[in-house]
Amino acid sequence: MGDRPLDGIRVLDFTWAWAGPFATLQLAHLGAEVIRVETTMHRLCVTRAIPPFADNVVGANRAGYFNQYNQGKRSITLNLRSPRALEMIYELVKHCDIVAENFGAGVSERLGIGYPKLRECRPDIIMISISAYGQTGPARRFIGYGPVVSAFSGFFSTTGYVGSEEQEIGISYPDPNAGAHGAFALLAALTYRDATGEGQYIDLSMVETAVCVMGEGLLDYQLNGQEPVRNGNRDRVMAPHGCYKTKGDPDKWVAIAVSNDVEWGSLCVAMGLPGLVRDERFATAEARKRNEDALDELITNWTRSRDRWEIACLLQSVGVVAFPAMSNKDLSTDAHLMERGFLVRLRHPEISERVHAGIPWKMSETPCEVRSPAPLLGADTEWVLSSLLGYSHEEIEQLRKDGVVA
Amino acid sequence: MGAQDTEGPFGRIKVVECGWGVSAAYGAKLLADLGVNVIKLEPPGGDPARQWGPFPDGVPNPEKSGLFVYLNTNKRGVVLDLKRSEGRKLLGRLLERADILIHNILPPDREQYGLLTSTFKAAYPQLIVVSISMFGDSGPRAHWRGSELIASNAGGWAFLSPGASSHPELAPLKAFGHQCDFQAGVHAAFLALAAYHYRASTGKGQHIDVSEQECIAAMLEMNLMHYSYGGRETSRLGQRALGPWFIGDCADGRIFLVCIEEDQWQRLVEFMGNPEWAHEPLFRDRVVRGQNLDALKALMTDWLAQWKVMDLYKEAQRRRIPVAPVHAMSRLLENEQLRERGYFVEFHQSGMNQIKLPGPPSQYGCAAWALKRPAPHLGEHTEEVLCRELGLSTTQFDALRKAGIV
Repeated sequence: MGDRPLDGIRVLDFTWAWAGPFATLQLAHLGAEVIRVETTMHRLCVTRAIPPFADNVVGANRAGYFNQYNQGKRSITLNLRSPRALEMIYELVKHCDIVAENFGAGVSERLGIGYPKLRECRPDIIMISISAYGQTGPARRFIGYGPVVSAFSGFFSTTGYVGSEEQEIGISYPDPNAGAHGAFALLAALTYRDATGEGQYIDLSMVETAVCVMGEGLLDYQLNGQEPVRNGNRDRVMAPHGCYKTKGDPDKWVAIAVSNDVEWGSLCVAMGLPGLVRDERFATAEARKRNEDALDELITNWTRSRDRWEIACLLQSVGVVAFPAMSNKDLSTDAHLMERGFLVRLRHPEISERVHAGIPWKMSETPCEVRSPAPLLGADTEWVLSSLLGYSHEEIEQLRKDGVVA
Repeated sequence: MGAQDTEGPFGRIKVVECGWGVSAAYGAKLLADLGVNVIKLEPPGGDPARQWGPFPDGVPNPEKSGLFVYLNTNKRGVVLDLKRSEGRKLLGRLLERADILIHNILPPDREQYGLLTSTFKAAYPQLIVVSISMFGDSGPRAHWRGSELIASNAGGWAFLSPGASSHPELAPLKAFGHQCDFQAGVHAAFLALAAYHYRASTGKGQHIDVSEQECIAAMLEMNLMHYSYGGRETSRLGQRALGPWFIGDCADGRIFLVCIEEDQWQRLVEFMGNPEWAHEPLFRDRVVRGQNLDALKALMTDWLAQWKVMDLYKEAQRRRIPVAPVHAMSRLLENEQLRERGYFVEFHQSGMNQIKLPGPPSQYGCAAWALKRPAPHLGEHTEEVLCRELGLSTTQFDALRKAGIV
């Protein structure tokens, strides 16, 4: 096995739900040792408790949501309400480079694991707190699940079919968006520490990172005095630009986007309508935008009797961008994604092999791989406590009896 | 504007960005806004994002594209025709001095731009090259092309959006803006820093291949597992898994409301004045409430209509009920929480009115995030970089200019 870019970096991970675990997942993919701190005493991580469960059998180690976003991490169980467990956390922090949490604002202080305290344990510690609104301001304690943050940050008001009301966006997008930006913030802090020797605290607001990717909408309003128009799959200038019904079961579609007149000509030829190039209604990008309803109808007439893959292959071969609308099943069984090694199948002790989304990048000198499936609840407690803190087997058994390891 | 600050942990990092549109530009922006020295290369006609808008009053102008301005703050801009050998030679000299190259030129186009991955390792062993492409550099579809709409469909997001739809005739729906491109950009940025960290201890550069399709397929909540754990194909059609979960109408706008936990629902019922209907079996738990969402929504209509959005938002959140305004851009810009946190940045781009740009994606304790420099005008820093930093003479530069290389 080759080197990994974050070999030797250790993360103490208090995150739960999705945004936090998505941030530390990227570090685990890059080779950091990520130790999740969980407990069996109070509430389980919510993603251990919601469907889908493997073969519909409920169990904390059988939940797909948890198992996807915690690949390659370790799990220890400690009852943070016990003072002894807190002391052990402080000892562990001395062995860690990064601490991550995404409790509500202020909760980490209440639990005794706020940044000022952890910095006493390790002066150069890097800590990130991910919360809905950030650690300050009048809304800091408000509840903000991903979809709630989507509404707040403007995604619903700008997304929708032509002429429709505001629409939701299908996934809890602000979570992975915050997680990916969180991974960036942690790598930036690590870069800073490499150069200066100093750690730091990072306050990441899911709302604010979501607004970072809304820049063009905010500018549209400021530059034009108008709210962005909900225009479905359509583009400001490109046409055709849409998702079109194809042959097959009722829900098969193909996306097609044409960005210039040359591509438009290629599309006409591919559709077997070379004469269409001369049709004035569609001769220029402006004309195609003006007559987009008629244009979309014309294209649908061609796509609806053809297979989506046949269309995509044909159009890609003539330089027109096109791709089927992929479902979870399409993705999980896709030959290209399998050949690239993106889809991962690792043997999990309770549920055997399942397909998971793996690592969306490849590095030439530090090949990254998913090293292990998501951990069983508490699977690494003994290993972590003995190897990092030097506890004996007997001591750990006693801590279990005392309700500290729990 | 004077030469770049080359001090500090970030100022000493030199990045060359060579791309078009959103993904590479956003990745490099994340670095530039921390003080990294970024040179953005553009072809003689400029980055296509200059043509995309939004523009002031809707009038296209390559120096006033809102999207371009947002994505290219803090960078210096150099025009170089990489399709010509003299241009590629100058690129080579810039890369000799650079730490990181970020680009999103697709695999089939790389040779003509002098960006062939296979040549980098021998020529620039210390250079970190991050390439973003739609389908990655390997696999049967490595040479396929795409854009935001394609990524949203190929990555599996569009097929799930808007979600809980009862309209099978409506296509999978892309979210507002360039979200998939943004995600590929964030990945590129944190991967560049991970590789930089690795290089610090080994001296080795490397190539990183980022697949935009895979970035999206890796963030679909638990949808892939719905298939691999339970054999279920998911889509944008069907019902909410739980309720309440909907966009409702208040007196002066729309609000998004969701109750994930039972106690949140109980507090909502109490807040509504304990109406009798809320105790009907139709609404006995969150799953059943999801199945009867239309009835629930209808029964809540009158109550919601009595409220103004911001009043209901604050009152409900005070009671720990997760709701949020469905913000339009105008409301988002004046939001109290973001104002208190000092999030938006007043920004001046020459030739444009004062605008507010999104602030930092996270608040750092140490690392200095700031918008110090406006986006470059086309070719603004060509002479500065080529003459003052690469040492070209005025005669040489004028010759290149006359030949249309710069």
